[in-house]
Amino acid sequence: MSVAPGFYLVLAGLMFAIGVVGVLVRRNAIVIFMFVELMLNAVNLIFVTFARQQGTVDGQVLVFFVLVVAAAEVVVGLGIISLIFRYRVSSNVDEINLLKR
Amino acid sequence: MPEGYFGQYVTIGIFAIVGTVLVAATLQLSRLVRPNHPTTAKLTTYESGIDPIGHGWSQSNVRYYIFALLFVVFDVEAVFLFPWAIVFEELGTAAFVEMVIFIGILALALLYAVKKRVLEWL
Amino acid sequence: MMELAQQVGATAAAVDWHAIAPELVLAATACIVLVADLFLPDDAKWLAMPLSAAGIIGTLAAIVSLIGAGNRLTLAGAFEVDGFALLFKGVFCVLGLLILAISFHYFRVGRYYQGEYYFLMLCSLLGGVVMSSARDLVTIFIAIELISIPGFIMAGLRKGDAKSNEAALKFFLFGVLSSAVMLYGMSLAYGATGELLLEGIRAKLTAADEPLIVLSVFFIVVGFAFKISAVPFHFWAPDTYEGSPSPVAAFLSTISKIGGFVGLIVLMFRAFPDVADTWRPIFALLAILTMTVGNMIALRQTHIIRLLAYSGIAQSGYVLVALALIEPGATASNEQAFQSAVIYLAIYGIMDAGAFAAAVAFARRGGSYFIEDYSGLWQRSPVLATLLAGFLISLAGTPPMAGFWAKVFVFLAAIEAQSYLLAIVMGLNAVVAAWYYLAVVKKMFFEKAELAEPVEVPAVLRVAMGLAAAALVAVFVYPRLVTELAERSLF
Repeated sequence: MSVAPGFYLVLAGLMFAIGVVGVLVRRNAIVIFMFVELMLNAVNLIFVTFARQQGTVDGQVLVFFVLVVAAAEVVVGLGIISLIFRYRVSSNVDEINLLKR
Repeated sequence: MPEGYFGQYVTIGIFAIVGTVLVAATLQLSRLVRPNHPTTAKLTTYESGIDPIGHGWSQSNVRYYIFALLFVVFDVEAVFLFPWAIVFEELGTAAFVEMVIFIGILALALLYAVKKRVLEWL
Repeated sequence: MMELAQQVGATAAAVDWHAIAPELVLAATACIVLVADLFLPDDAKWLAMPLSAAGIIGTLAAIVSLIGAGNRLTLAGAFEVDGFALLFKGVFCVLGLLILAISFHYFRVGRYYQGEYYFLMLCSLLGGVVMSSARDLVTIFIAIELISIPGFIMAGLRKGDAKSNEAALKFFLFGVLSSAVMLYGMSLAYGATGELLLEGIRAKLTAADEPLIVLSVFFIVVGFAFKISAVPFHFWAPDTYEGSPSPVAAFLSTISKIGGFVGLIVLMFRAFPDVADTWRPIFALLAILTMTVGNMIALRQTHIIRLLAYSGIAQSGYVLVALALIEPGATASNEQAFQSAVIYLAIYGIMDAGAFAAAVAFARRGGSYFIEDYSGLWQRSPVLATLLAGFLISLAGTPPMAGFWAKVFVFLAAIEAQSYLLAIVMGLNAVVAAWYYLAVVKKMFFEKAELAEPVEVPAVLRVAMGLAAAALVAVFVYPRLVTELAERSLF
């Protein structure tokens, strides 16, 4: 049983759009970061779909790299956020405004 | 056993009903048998015998995060090992050496963590 | 499963080890620095810096050994060593040495995680060096992330300083967002053509894919616009530069930004040159906004790092002008625009790093980052005042420094391509920019100092700044030094 590739692409497009809206609307650094992860996963879905459609593997190989880079970003990002949390006891990006002019 | 596509749902349905009845029946049975003396101490959250302090959203110790982060890094690298393992025989020694270098660099990170005493539970 | 094995096996050709030698040397150096730092006692941690410098010089040697060896293509076409790659590898390594000089005293005196800093810096530098040779989407993605991710940590290296934390968080959030957007664009290009190699994408682009390609190029450009801090995607840059340790700001403003530009140039010229009609207007708009907004805000800055940040944004705009001149088919004017962009990036890196070096030199030992404190610097330290004035004059694009030629070449390319609007906007912006750069120079030379004590500059920093300034003057006197390299770097 197979689903037409178009549906996967629509799903991925929706995921990406939800991610963009979430990044723009939400104010908690961790939640923003989770929406960025959602965008990355949307991209992964697109790559896998196209790779499957075209019968090549290089799109799937790229997904591996995206996964690993995303993991590295998680580690660095959570490190930074927890560092801020240690001094501010808040991860709301609106309250992090020392450098705003 | 019923046959056909929808017939299989009947099997699932029977299982669901039997499961629900079994659990409900045992609970009712034990209610009939056991004594009933509610006190406030009995109604608190069970937390391994320790008195629960604070509420459910309390923070975990930051040390847990370090282990979680280390786990994420090393866990995800495994995605490179699986494809490598599949084509290992065709590629031969060169692939082996390359993977040794790859894991060697990761081992450096582990060495770093050990030297920085991240892995010791203080 | 077997199908996968065969496909991967088919591409696992022999690796040209000489072609990737610079990257190997740099990566090995990074690992050695990390391990050495673990075993060095606290008062010898600074040794990580000479170790890193030796590694970068070794990398430069490997790069030199590749000159004249012809174009090399390896890793199944994903990695190419040509004139362009060699030029930018060289630029990155020279900038890396400059940044090391800026960092040395700052991190040694402050005792901020020296080993980790040099390790991260080398990793990020490695990203830039890989980017110069990257010729497929995977490699470009890996390279840009290798540049960015250590940058996030470096920006937050002063762990106890709330401003540094904030700088890191802003940089991080914008950085990951931009990679996600860029990847979305890349996925559409892959979908339209089924290729990850830039050459393959270019060969398989057809008119039928037009809407998909427009979207793809748009997302890729937006993603890169964050990295090169082009307006309207520049918000993070001034805050991040001010909050992070100043040598890191110098790093982000030169190597990281040039790395983004290199990726953008490679993508646009190797994958999408035939559809330049779709992306030229985007670049033209970005260029005009970036130059104008950057300069206008820079006029009001009182903090030298923020001034350099906003002026750096404006400088990105001039490079974008060169990219906005590309027209499919017009080979002569395209080549001129391409060369002017390459020359601009190379010269910009040196002069911007120099200006940061001078700012860091002035700020140590109780100095400040505020421009009003620069008044009368001539009396307190003639050498530092002259060097800083030289870099600012170069950034302003006035003789006798190389920045003059950088602007002239882009301007001439705009005239050649008959983009008079861009040429006029650029000319006006150069005048505005000269105003605020020269205001600082005037303050240093013609106003009275409030303090009399001399500003001492560490020897490493003095030598580095002196060499950078000498290079800028040399290029002004004999511009063939860079035009020759730019000609060789044509794709």
